[in-house]
Amino acid sequence: MNTVKRKYHNRPEMNLADKFNAPIGMEKSKTANKASIPLNHKSLDFSPSIIPTPSLIHRVLTKMGYGSTPDLIAHIQTLSGVTDNDKILSYIDEQLNPSLIDDSVVDALLTHGYQTLNKTRTQLFQDHYRRPDGVEIPWDFHVLPGFETFYATCVRGTQSNKQLLEVMADFWHNHFNVYMDADGIPPMFVHYDRDIIRPDALGNFRSMLEGVTKATCMLDYLGNAYNHKDQPNENYAREILELHTISAENYFGHMNPADVPVDLQGRKTGYVEADVQEMARALTGWSYSGADYEPNATGEFLYRDSWHDKGDKTVMGNIYSFNAATPESDVLEILDYLAEHPATNEFLAKKLCKRFISDNPPQSIIDAVKTTLHNNWQASNQIQLAMETLLKSNEFLTTWGEKIKRPFERVMSAMRQIGYSYDFDPTLNMSDDHFWAFYNSGHMPFYWTSPNGYPDVKSHWLGSSSMMATWRYIQMISQWHVNYDENLPNYNDILNITLNQFPNPLDRTANNIVDYWFERACGLPPDTVMKEKLTDFMSYLDYTNPVVSNKDIPIDFSVEDWPSYNQERLFAVVSTIFLTSEFNYR
Amino acid sequence: MKKINRRNFLKKAGLVSLGAVAGVQVGFGNTILRGKGAGSNELLIYVQLNGAMDGLNMVPPRTGANYSEYANVLRPVIHIPNTQSLALNGVAEFGLHPLATGMQSLFNANKLAIIHATGLMQANRSHFVSTALMEQGVQSTASNYGTGWITRYFESSETTPPNPVIPSLVPSYDNTDAILGDPAALVMGSSTEFSLNQGHWAWESAMQDTITQIFSNPVNTEDRVAAHTLNSSQVIQNIFDDVNNPYVPENGAVYPTGYFGNQTKAVARMYKANVDLEVAYIQTGGWDTHVNQGTGITGQFADLVKELSDGLNALYLDLTASNAGKFTIIVQSEFGRRAYENTDQGTDHGYGNPMFVVGDNVNGGFYGQFPGLTPAELFEGDDVAVTTDYRHVVTEVLMRRMKNRYLGHVFPGYNNYSPLGIVTGNDLVPDYNFELDRIFNSGFE
Repeated sequence: MNTVKRKYHNRPEMNLADKFNAPIGMEKSKTANKASIPLNHKSLDFSPSIIPTPSLIHRVLTKMGYGSTPDLIAHIQTLSGVTDNDKILSYIDEQLNPSLIDDSVVDALLTHGYQTLNKTRTQLFQDHYRRPDGVEIPWDFHVLPGFETFYATCVRGTQSNKQLLEVMADFWHNHFNVYMDADGIPPMFVHYDRDIIRPDALGNFRSMLEGVTKATCMLDYLGNAYNHKDQPNENYAREILELHTISAENYFGHMNPADVPVDLQGRKTGYVEADVQEMARALTGWSYSGADYEPNATGEFLYRDSWHDKGDKTVMGNIYSFNAATPESDVLEILDYLAEHPATNEFLAKKLCKRFISDNPPQSIIDAVKTTLHNNWQASNQIQLAMETLLKSNEFLTTWGEKIKRPFERVMSAMRQIGYSYDFDPTLNMSDDHFWAFYNSGHMPFYWTSPNGYPDVKSHWLGSSSMMATWRYIQMISQWHVNYDENLPNYNDILNITLNQFPNPLDRTANNIVDYWFERACGLPPDTVMKEKLTDFMSYLDYTNPVVSNKDIPIDFSVEDWPSYNQERLFAVVSTIFLTSEFNYR
Repeated sequence: MKKINRRNFLKKAGLVSLGAVAGVQVGFGNTILRGKGAGSNELLIYVQLNGAMDGLNMVPPRTGANYSEYANVLRPVIHIPNTQSLALNGVAEFGLHPLATGMQSLFNANKLAIIHATGLMQANRSHFVSTALMEQGVQSTASNYGTGWITRYFESSETTPPNPVIPSLVPSYDNTDAILGDPAALVMGSSTEFSLNQGHWAWESAMQDTITQIFSNPVNTEDRVAAHTLNSSQVIQNIFDDVNNPYVPENGAVYPTGYFGNQTKAVARMYKANVDLEVAYIQTGGWDTHVNQGTGITGQFADLVKELSDGLNALYLDLTASNAGKFTIIVQSEFGRRAYENTDQGTDHGYGNPMFVVGDNVNGGFYGQFPGLTPAELFEGDDVAVTTDYRHVVTEVLMRRMKNRYLGHVFPGYNNYSPLGIVTGNDLVPDYNFELDRIFNSGFE
C-alpha cells in the first residue's frame, strides 16, 4: 500500500528554511507576499514600530546585557575615549574579556546558603544523583544543584559586572538546551553550567560541542547514555545535526545521501535521514559512569567499548573508521567536521544576530559574524572574536526596538533599576517565590522542556499570559520586604534612590520624580500622555479618593500613613513604568 | 485577592465590548469581512497532543495480519493484547487502549470519529518542525506567513461577531504558533493569576487604572497585546469567580484532576459565559515516550491516555447538556511513533497517526484507510504511512461546522477539499486563494 508514499514522499523536501526563523515582520516575506495581501489585512505587523530612540549607552547596555544602571553609566564615562561612541567601544572591549573584570560582589553573594556550586562532577553525582552506599537521596537534596544554578543565575543577572558573559551563557544554554528538571538532570546541572557552558561562552564552539556531547546532563536528557549498538538511539544524533550544528535549514529529508548537493570544497551542503542514523551509530557507547547502574559510579564521561559500533560510519559523505587505539576518534572527527562546516557557522551567526540585533537581522551582519566564526573555528577565543564583530557593527550599534525583552530579561532589568537587594539564598522560601514567578512568566531559566531552547522572536512573547505574569512579578519585587515582614526594609531601593536624586526636599514633586524614573528606566523622557498619566498617579494623595493634585508640590516621603501611603505610591508608580512598552524594547 | 469592581466590569465588558475598548482588531479585516452579521455560537476545540502520541497503542489493531505484525513482530514487549484493548461497537479490526473508557463510550454513542493514518504530507520526524508546520498551517517551513492557522481562520471568518470579547482561548502557560500574529488571542495559564493584584493593596486599583489608561490608545502590536491583556483580566476575574459564581459542570461531568482536566474545564466555563469564544486551542504534553512508555494499563502512556479520554468525555458531557450540537473537538498529534518498539521499552519518532473528532454532529466510526503494518506497507520500512492529509479533517470541520470556506487562506497551498463525511453540515464553495477577496470570489465583479 505504497500509493500514498509514492505520491507524496518520493520527492524529498529541499533545503528547509529555519522553522524558528519565524518571519515576523520580515522584509523578505513582506515583499514576497505584497502582491497577494491586501493592505487592510496587514494591520498586524510585528516589524519594528516607529519609536523614539534612547541614547547609545542605554541602547547598548539594554541589548548586550540586562540593562543599564546609574553606576554602570558612570563607569562607562570613566573609560577611554572622547565621545560616547568611543567609550561604548571601550566598554565592549572590557565585556569581551570577562576574566579581567572584578566580580567580588557576586562571589560574596554566592556564599549565601549555596553548597553545591564548587562540587566536582563526581561529588555532584555521588552526593546528589546516586550514592555509592545506595542510601536514598532526599528529593530536595537531589535537585539542589539545579536550583542553586538557577539562583546563581539570578544573582549574576542582577549584580554581575560581566553582563555580556551572562547573556552569552544564557544564549548557549538555550542553544544546547537541557530541561533542568527532567529526570536525572538537576544533580549534574552545576557541572553543565560551570564546566561546559560558561568556560566557552566566549570561547570555542568545537570545545563546547564536545563538552556537551560528553556531559552527564545531555547524555541523560537526550538518552545517548543508553545508546547501544544493538539498537541505536537517534535522539541526540538527530538534535546535534538539526539543532546544534548543521541546522534544520539544511535537512534534506529522506533524500539519497549521494544526491545531496556539494559545495565548492566538496562538502555536502546538508544532511539526510541516513546521516542521522549513521551519527547515532557513531555515538553508540558514549555514556557516563552510572548509566549502566554500575557500583561506585561517578557520573564522569564513559566510553563503553562493548556498546560501541565499530564499523565504518558515513556521515555527510565522509567515512569515519574506528580506531582501537583511539576509540573516541570516530566521533571526535565528526565533531570537527560539523564545527568547521559553513552551515554550522552560518546557523550560529544567524542565531547570535537574532539574539542581539533583530528577529530579522540583515544578511550583511550574519555574513560578517559567520566569517569570523569560520575563520577562527579552531581558535580558543573564536566566539569572543565573533562577538567583537557583532557588537562593534553598525547593525548592532545603531538599531533599537527590533526586539523586546523576554520575561527573564525584563525582570532582571527592572531589578537592576530598583537596586533589588535580595540575595537569592537557596535556603530561603522567598527564593522559591522567585522561581514560581519566573515559572508563571513562561521564561524560567533552564525550564524549556524541548531541546530547541526558548524561542527568540518577539511574536512568541507577545502573549497575554506571559505578559500578565511578568507584570505581576514586577509588582511583587516592587513591594516585597525582607522576610515578608512589613516592619523590615524593602528589597527595592526606590525610596533611597529617589531621595538621593533629589537632595532638596522641595524638588520631590510628581513631575520631577516621574521624569527622573522614566528616563532612568527607558533611556528617554516620557511622551505627553505617558507623563500625564504617571504624574496623575504620583499626585494622588488619598488612595480611597484618587484625584489629581498639584504636580509641582513636594511630596513628603517621611509620611507613610493612611490614606496617602506616599512610599508605596512611589513604588507603584515606578513599577508601572516597567509595565510600559517603552521599557520593554531592546 | 482583589475582587473586580463590578461597575468597571460592566462598563468595560457589558456595555462596551472588549475589542472596542482595547482597540483590538480581531481578524484584521473585520470591517469588510463581517458577513451575515448574525454571530455563530459554534465552538471549535482543538487539542494538540505534544510530543507525538503513540497511535498504535492508542488505537491498537485487534485482528488479522495487522494484529500479528503489531503484537509479534513490531512490539513484542509493549503491545496492547487484544484481550485487553477495548472493543468498539461494530468494529472488529481496531480497539482502544484499555484506559480509554471515556472515548469508548463516546464512540459507542456515535459521537467519536477516528481517522486512520493522518499527518503532514511530507514526513518530518522533528517535533519542532512538525509542530511548527501544523501550528502555522503550512506544509513547508519555506512557506511562512508570520501568522498561525487560527489567526488566519479569524482573518477570514464571516461568522465571528464584530468586536468579540474573547474569541479564542489557549488555556496554557505556553504560547503557540497557531495564534501567531493575533493579539486578540488569549493565552491563559491560570485564571486566578490573570490579574494585576500583586502590588501594595492601597494602590493596586490606581495602578491598574493608570496602566490601562496608558494603553488605551494602542498604536502598535506590543500596546495592543497589553491592552487586550488588561481588559481580558477583568472579564476573566468575573467569569472565574469561584465565590460568587462557582462552576458546576452539567450532566454529571467529572473532569480528571490534572492540567488537562483544568484546561478542558476552563474552556467549557469560558464558552458558557457567552464571551464569544469560538476557538479553543488546548496543548497537552508528555507524549514523547522514548523510554519505558509502559504496557497495558500502567506507565506513562496509560496515565496520559486516561487523562485524555476522561477529559474529552467530561468536556463532551458538560457542553452537550445545554449546547448540544454547537461544538466540535479535534484531537491531533504532530506525528505518530515508530511502529517498532525500541530497546528501552519505548518508541521513537514515526509518521502516520490517528486523529479524533468528537461532537454531536459527528458521524461516529472509523475513517480513512489503515495502510498496514507489514514491512512493505510501512513507510520507509519503519512507520505507519500517511493515507489522509490531516487538513482534510480540519477543513471539513471548518467548512461544515464553522462555515469558513476560505481554505486556501487558512491552509495556504491547500487545494483539494475532500470531506470524509466525519461531521454533518453543508459544503460551501471552497476558496483556495490565499488572498482574501470576497467581492471577486462571490462573483460580484
